[in-house]
Amino acid sequence: MTPFQIFLVVVLASGMVAVVICLSKGLIGRLAATCAAAVCAAGIAFAIEPNWTTSIAHRLGISRGTDLLLYLLVLTVLYGFLLIYLKLRRVRRELTLLVREIAIREAERKSPAPQQPPDSAQ
Amino acid sequence: MPREPHLLESRPLTRDDAALALLTAHVRAQTFVVIPVFNEGAVIGEVLDQLVQHFPNVVCVDDGSSDGTWEALKSHAPHALRHLVNRGQGAALQTGTEYALRCGALRIAHFDADGQHRIEDLERMVAAVARGDCDIALGDRFAGNAASVPLGRRMVLRAAVVFHRIVSGIALNDVHNGLRVFSRAAAERIEMTADRMAHASELIDLIAQSQLRVLQLPVTIRYTEYSRAKGQSWTGGFRILFHYLVGRALD
Repeated sequence: MTPFQIFLVVVLASGMVAVVICLSKGLIGRLAATCAAAVCAAGIAFAIEPNWTTSIAHRLGISRGTDLLLYLLVLTVLYGFLLIYLKLRRVRRELTLLVREIAIREAERKSPAPQQPPDSAQ
Repeated sequence: MPREPHLLESRPLTRDDAALALLTAHVRAQTFVVIPVFNEGAVIGEVLDQLVQHFPNVVCVDDGSSDGTWEALKSHAPHALRHLVNRGQGAALQTGTEYALRCGALRIAHFDADGQHRIEDLERMVAAVARGDCDIALGDRFAGNAASVPLGRRMVLRAAVVFHRIVSGIALNDVHNGLRVFSRAAAERIEMTADRMAHASELIDLIAQSQLRVLQLPVTIRYTEYSRAKGQSWTGGFRILFHYLVGRALD
């Protein structure tokens, strides 16, 4: 193996260990952990045996293994962006609800009762 | 084909003394006027001083201003709320609306902070809701004195009207007018989740989906140098469209 292949295997193996730790601490769910572990495992396999990407690419009608990896990378990044965006929307929504509740409670604590007219007639 | 089962016929711009006579001190006090405020320190004091003479319960929501607006609100607004961080006009309106509902408001009005709305228009709209003519009164600047609407703004707003006829299925004349009045029941049913400017489009969707009775009333918008500077640019319009479409797709 070349030094870069060794580096890649070490990084991906570390990623796998991190996934296991996150799963054991309950930071990620089983499905996410399985997907992440599968990606790391595939990455390790392709780093050790690069020709496998080419043979898989040929079976899928893609000429080069690097093209297959590029397409997969683009899809993965887009999916990651979508997940992050959805997460960000949830966090923004929760932030708004929190800011709103604080604003209302502070106002209720400080403000006088709503002003009423002197007469009670409608 | 736009559906408008609950859309009442618009009214001409006339002085309705009978309606205004309805606006007793009690009716005015039961109406909470919600104003979202962001960096409006230059004008908000004057706007509030005029408004509280007609409606004693004015709820101002400072949306994380940094120009001394909060200090002005503390001395001029009957009810001053403050967002610790900026969350957008839609979020501020919903905050003020929820606060007003907790205070027991029977009617809730939305009013802009930059002084572009007229109190007499607000009064006619409040009277329409108080009389039970409708559940929601929406301002319609094109039925009023539309000559003052800048050409560029007019084109964008007309495009928004056509867009909402197609997408939301409701045939309103002025979909982005910030002057609105809701009955308590309507305000309880309509909850805006779009934090920023897309709330106006979201509101149209919520109205279209509801069975609430909507009345459009002519209003005149005062376009000043100040209000124009605070208004949305073309790029802002596209940003609103993006947020609205994403919100529709994901929520």
